[in-house]
Amino acid sequence: MNATEKIWPWKILLAVILIFMAAGTWGAVKQIDYQWRWYRVPQYFFYLAEDAQKIPFDGIVTKVEKAGKTTTVTLTSESSEIVTVEVETEELRVSEGEELFEDDTVGFSSEWRLGPLMKGLWTTLWLSAIASVFALILGLVAGLAKVSKNYTLRGLAMIYVECIRGTPLLVQIFIAYFFLGTVFDLSRNVCGIGALALFAGAYVAEIVRAGIQAIPPGQTEAARSLGMTMPQTMMDIILPQAFKKILPPLSGQFISLIKDSSLVSVIAITDLTKSGREIITSTFATFEVWLVVAAMYLLVTSLLSQVVFYMERRLAVSD
Amino acid sequence: MIKAENVVKLFHGYGTTVRAVDGVSTEVERGEVVVVIGPSGSGKSTFLRCINGLEVFSEGHIIIDGVDLADKKTNINKVRMEVGMVFQQFNLFPHKTVLENLTLAQRRVRKRSKKVAEEKARALLEKVGIPEKAEEYPSRLSGGQQQRVAIARALAMEPKVMLFDEPTSALDPEMVGEVLDVMKQLAGEGMTMIVVTHEMGFAREVADRVLFMDEGKIVEVGTPEHFFTEPREERTKLFLKQVL
Ligand SMILES: Nc1ncnc2c1ncn2[C@@H]1O[C@H](COP(=O)(O)OP(=O)(O)OP(=O)(O)O)[C@@H](O)[C@H]1O
Ligand SMILES: [Mg+2]
Repeated sequence: MNATEKIWPWKILLAVILIFMAAGTWGAVKQIDYQWRWYRVPQYFFYLAEDAQKIPFDGIVTKVEKAGKTTTVTLTSESSEIVTVEVETEELRVSEGEELFEDDTVGFSSEWRLGPLMKGLWTTLWLSAIASVFALILGLVAGLAKVSKNYTLRGLAMIYVECIRGTPLLVQIFIAYFFLGTVFDLSRNVCGIGALALFAGAYVAEIVRAGIQAIPPGQTEAARSLGMTMPQTMMDIILPQAFKKILPPLSGQFISLIKDSSLVSVIAITDLTKSGREIITSTFATFEVWLVVAAMYLLVTSLLSQVVFYMERRLAVSD
Repeated sequence: MIKAENVVKLFHGYGTTVRAVDGVSTEVERGEVVVVIGPSGSGKSTFLRCINGLEVFSEGHIIIDGVDLADKKTNINKVRMEVGMVFQQFNLFPHKTVLENLTLAQRRVRKRSKKVAEEKARALLEKVGIPEKAEEYPSRLSGGQQQRVAIARALAMEPKVMLFDEPTSALDPEMVGEVLDVMKQLAGEGMTMIVVTHEMGFAREVADRVLFMDEGKIVEVGTPEHFFTEPREERTKLFLKQVL
C-alpha cells in the first residue's frame, strides 16, 4: 500500500467541502438580502486623483508646449518671475498669451495615488517592522538575562516576561497610550510600537532562552577551554547555533506581531484595520472590506512564511 | 608544571553533598604523560575539569606554571590558553567548517591574523592526518576524524598542557587506534599530557605515571609496570581485573 497513490480522492473531498462552505455562506448572505458592492473596493487600493494646477501670481501664459498627453505651460508674472506647470493636454484651460489672475486654473493633472487600504497596509508593515526590531533586541537582552548567572538580571527578566505574558495586549496598549503616553508625553505611534515591541519581546525572550539552553553545554565548555570569554562564546558559538534552532518559532512570533498590530487601531493609528473601519463608515460595504482586509493580512503573513522557509533551507547546510 | 594541593570539589544536590574530588594532591612535570584510571563516578573528569577551570573547586590549590587557580586575581582565560582540553564527545562547533573550528580561538584569543591562523590550522590538520577535510563541516566526518580535529583545535592554541577526558570512549572500536596514534605522537614530541582513559594498552605504552582514583581520592600511584604486575591496593586489583 502506498499512501501517495491514493491522494486524489482526498483532494476531491477537500474541494467539495470548500465548495459547500462557500455555497453555504453565499446562501446565508442571500437570506439577509445583502447588497454586494465589490466594484467599490478597488478604488481603495489605488485611485486616480485629479489636481487643479493654478497660477501662483497674476501673470501671462508665455508658452504652451504640447507633447503628447502632457502639456507644459510656462507662466510669467508681472515682475518677470517664471513658473512652469504640467497639465494633461485634454484638460488644458488656457492658451498662449492669455492673462491670468492669481489662483486661476491653468488645467488639470491626474495621478495614481495609494488608497486608504494600501496606506493602511503600509502603516501596518512599517509599524510591525520597527516593533519587530525592538522586540528582537529586547527579547535577546531579556533572554540572555534569563540564562545569566546574576540573580538580579534573572529576576528583572523574569518579572518582565511574566507581567507581559500574564496580561492582554489590548490592556497593555491602553496602558501604554493612556497612562505612559500621557505621563511621558509620547505620540500614539511611539506608544503603539512600544506596546507591540514590549509584548513580542517577552515571547522572544522565552524563545531565545529555550534556544540557548537547547545548545549542549559541551559547546560552551569547548569554547571556554580554548580561552574564549563568555561574550565571545555567546557571539561566535552559542547564538549562531541557537538562532538556527529558534528561527521557526521566532518567525512565528513576528508573523503574530503583524496580526497583533491590528489592535493598535484602538488608539487611532490608521493601520490596515483602522483603514478598513474608516472605509466602511463611508461605503457600508462591510462584508467586502473585512474580507479584503483579512485577505491582505493573509497575503503578507504567507509571503513572510515563504521567506522564512527559504532561509531555513539555506541555513541547513552544516547539518 | 602542574601542582595540585589537596583539591576538593563538592557538588550540592537536594540536601546531599557529593565529594566528587576529595583531597587530591599530585604533581605533573613538564613533558610527563600521566594517565588517570578509575571506576565510573570516581571523580576523574571532575578533577580534569578543575585543572582548566571548567569546574571551580571548593578547596585547595591548583598551580599551573606558577599561577594559582584558587587565586581570585587569576585570569582564567589566560590559563585556559595554556591548557588544551579534548572531550569525550568531541564538542566541535557544528556550524563552522573544520578550518574555522581550528582558527576561531586563534583569532579571537591569540589575536592572530586570518592568514597565520589558517597556516597553523592546515599544518595541524596535516599532522593529525586529515588535511583534505579542512572545508568540510564536522557532521560529515567520522567520529575518529572529529576527535582528531578536536585535538588539532586544542593544539592550535599552542598549549603547554593537554588534558584528555576519555577521548576514545565515544568511538567505534575501529577508530580508536587512529586517535591513540595521534596522542602517542604528541607524547613522543614531549607534550605534557593528563589523560583519563580506559585504554590500558595506551597507558602501558606511553604513560610515565598512572593514577588510580576511586571515590574522589587518589588511591594508588605508580608506573604502568607497577599497575600491571604488582598493584598494591585491593580496590586497584579489583578494578584492573574488570577492565583488563
Ligand atoms: N555537575 C554535577 N552536579 C552534581 N554532581 C556531579 C556533577 N558532575 C559530576 N557529579 C558527580 O561527581 C562524581 C564524580 O563524577 P565524574 O564525572 O568526575 O566521574 P568520572 O570518574 O569522570 O566518571 P566516568 O568514568 O563515568 O566519566 C559523580 O558522583 C557524579 O555524579
Ligand atoms: Mg568522566
